[in-house]
Order: sequence, then structure tokens, then C-alpha cells
Amino acid sequence: MKNWIQAFSVMDFISVGILLTAVAMNAFKRLESCVKIYTLNSLLLSSLIAIVALMVGEPHLYIASAATLLGKGILIPMFLKRVVRQMKVTHDVEPYINNALSLAISGILVAVVYASLRQGIFVSGFSKNVLQISIAVILIGLFVMITRRKAITQVIGLLFMENGLFLAGFSLTYGMPIIIELGVLFDMLMGVIILGIFAVQIKRAFASSNLDNLTILKG
Amino acid sequence: MEYLQFLIILLFSPLIQGMIKKMKARMQGRVGSGIFQPYYDLIRLMKKEMVISHVTSWIFKATPYIVLASTIVASMITPVLTTRVPFGIMGDVIALIYILATGRFFMALAGLDAGTAFGGEGSSREMAVAILVEPMMMLSIFTAAISVGSTNIARIAEAQNMVYSPSHLLALSAFVVAIIAETGRIPVDNPDTHLELTMIHEGMLLEYSGRYLALMEWAHYMKQMLLFTLGVDIFFPVGIPSDTAFAGLGVSFALYFLKMGFMAVLMAAIESTRAKLRFFQLPSLLGGAFVLAFLSLLTYIMMGR
Repeated sequence: MKNWIQAFSVMDFISVGILLTAVAMNAFKRLESCVKIYTLNSLLLSSLIAIVALMVGEPHLYIASAATLLGKGILIPMFLKRVVRQMKVTHDVEPYINNALSLAISGILVAVVYASLRQGIFVSGFSKNVLQISIAVILIGLFVMITRRKAITQVIGLLFMENGLFLAGFSLTYGMPIIIELGVLFDMLMGVIILGIFAVQIKRAFASSNLDNLTILKG
Repeated sequence: MEYLQFLIILLFSPLIQGMIKKMKARMQGRVGSGIFQPYYDLIRLMKKEMVISHVTSWIFKATPYIVLASTIVASMITPVLTTRVPFGIMGDVIALIYILATGRFFMALAGLDAGTAFGGEGSSREMAVAILVEPMMMLSIFTAAISVGSTNIARIAEAQNMVYSPSHLLALSAFVVAIIAETGRIPVDNPDTHLELTMIHEGMLLEYSGRYLALMEWAHYMKQMLLFTLGVDIFFPVGIPSDTAFAGLGVSFALYFLKMGFMAVLMAAIESTRAKLRFFQLPSLLGGAFVLAFLSLLTYIMMGR
């Protein structure tokens, strides 16, 4: 099993897949596709940690992987899907920057990260450029947050940032103690639920979930 | 012997087109015409009388020959059965893309020449797509070129670097999008329609008839097979011998047809399952593929494989 994973360089493929799903986030306008691509990103992250756990043999990594799968791969996407259905909007309005240009900008972001971090730092078991990838995912999440207008896509941008941070933490230190990881995950879940409720309330109060409306003083 | 390998592309390209059409028909639940239909079409068109508008200039008459000649020259650079190619020393990937661009340039001119609305529309669209496709194609090929250390297609094919790394996979997916855009297949252009406001490639050929139309169509089939061959040479160069021994050529021929069949199935599957994009959504698709190619290059540089 371990030999197979090494021979087919599964680690490299999964870490590039994480980067690719984050970049692909910029190409989608339908809210459901955004949720789906986030789910895929989380599943890849979880499987990456599971494979590292298998390669290194650290038992607490299995717990982290399972918690990621349960929290980010299943619970948060389910909740987000419900919010999307409740809000009855299928498409994001035209973002501040159109899709082709934001794809190009996220490509440039990746290039900047790669150029500024020549030598990756990582613990054994991870692929070579995993730190670059995690920082690129954080930046792309931030970029998604500042270019999208809908509350729900901004939440997804935040979630991408969190995935990037999670990956960076794991690739540098095999993760923090499990109790802190679980606490962060729980916080994340609560945060998403609160933000989701906010999004629905904004939609109800303003009859649109476009965040530009919040800058107007009178509702 | 190796000087004749471009004849394979010349002679079998209508067959590939027929195969794609047949498979597409089958996937859509139709019977479809036979796989030799493109040959019959070409022969029929060769025999037909030509109608040439009297306002056209010499460009209109020269273009079919220029397009066909540029495609033939491009297929002489590309290794088909063996990596010993006729113009191997002279041409590399960059030359090949620009030789194809010459043909495209004259095709666009000929579309404008007759002065019809559809022709101009087709030409301007073709050029707009070409601007996006050419750099993307080059970047995706460069990933393979860097890993071999040469932009010569024969050297890339000879290196036989079995493509199993994330960077090559990304480059391959970008290259497939480039093939779709260059051959005018469905998410970009619909190859089966005439007289529709969305046409790109057919719009430029609208004024042609008879023998000239046959030459243009044939050049288009050849370009399609050439691009398939290029993709196969760069990304799956398994079993291409570097000499002209008879046994090696036989194996290579069989493998080559397997690979071409695979490409044909892939194209038919994409065409049957996708819907055509609006023209103004194309930059999103092609820009996405460009980012894929760019990421593949970056990943290659970072990972070293």
C-alpha cells in the first residue's frame, strides 16, 4: 500500500488537486457549484491527511482526518446547501471582477506565492510544494471574499482560507494537539451556521443578499 | 521511408473525421453515416463546378492551396510513426504553431475577401479565439518541452517521458481544450451547422464551393488529425521507434491507430455531453484552460517533475 502511494505519487496529485479546486472556485457563478467545489476541496484535504497518517503512522492524524471529513466534507456543505435553497437564489450576481479576469488574477497569485517561497518547508510525508499550495489557497480564499457580492460566496471564501490554514498547519507541524483542532473545527461550524443565518436574515430584510446594500444607511 | 509518414495524416484524416461522426451519432442514439462518408464528400466536391464571386481577389483563389500546403508542412515536422521526421532539424513546436497560424491568417483573409457579413463575422471570431488559444497551447507544450530540454517535437517524443505527474496532467487537460478550440468542436464552435449565427469556422468557408471547398475541408480534417498526433507525441509517446526498422514501424502503426481511436472517442464524448457555449462565455473557458497551463508550468518548476 505504502509503496503504491509512493510509486503513483498520490500526494502530489492530491495537493495539486487542492490548489486546483481553489482556483476553480473563481470560475463558478452558480452558488451550488461553489458549495460543491468547496466540498471537493475539503474531501481532498481530508484524504491528504489520511494518507499522511498512513505513511507516517501517527494515530492522531486519523482523528483529524475523520473530523475534517465529518465537519468540512459533510456538515458544513449540507448546511450551506440548505441556506442556498432557503434563499432561493441560484446565481451569484456579476462579481466585481469577471470570471476570466479573476481566474487570471488567481493564477498570478499562485505565481507570486511560488516565486516568493522558493524553498518549501514541510515535515516528512507531505509533497514538496505543499506550503506554497496552502498559502496560495489562503490568498485565493481572501481574493474570493473581496470580489464576490453575495454573503454566501464570501462565507465560502472564508472557508477556503480556513482550509488553507489547516493544510499549512499540518504540513509544518503535523497539526496542533487534537483538542485544539477539534475546537477550531467546532468554532468553524458555529461561525458558518451564524453567518448562514445572517445571510438568510439579510436576504429577508433587504430582499436581496447583495452585500452592497448594507452600505446604505437606510434600509 | 520516413519522408512518407506525413502521407498517413494526408490519407487517413477523413477517416478520423468519419469515425468521430459515427461515434457521435451512436452516442446520441442515431445510426449515422458510414465512416467513409468524408471521402465520398471530398470526391463529390472535387467533381463539382465552382462558383466564385466576381468581387473576390487572388487571395480567395490562393487560400485553399496555402491552407493545405501549410498543414502539410506542419505534418512533415510532426513525428507520426517514427521520430525521424523529414524537417526535424528545421522545425520545432513554435514553428509548427506559427505555420498553422499562417494558414489561419489566410483563411481569415479569404473570409473577409468576398465581403459577406457571415465571412467577416467568422473571421473576426476565429481571430478572437486564436488570440486566446495560441499562448495556451504553447504554454501547455512548454511543460513537456522543459522536462525534455528541447522544443523539438521529435526529441520530446523520443524522450518517452511517461506522463505521470500533476504538471503533465494539467498540461494535458489544457491541451485538450486547445484541440477542441482549434478544431472547432462543440463547446467552442458547432461543426455540424451552416447558416447559423453562431458559426465560426463554417462562416469563413461559406463562399467556397466545389474543389476549393474540398481542399479547405480536407485541410481542416488534416489539421484535426495533426493536432491529435501532436498531443499523442507529446503526452503519450509510447512505442514510437527512433529508427525505421519494419517491426518497430508495425507496432508503432497499430499503437498509433489505437491512440487516434482513443482521441476520437474522447472528442465524440465531449461533443455529445457538452452544450455549445455562448461566444462571450468563451474567454471564461479558454482563460480557465490558460490558467491550467500556467499552473502546470509553475508546478513543474516547483516540483521538478
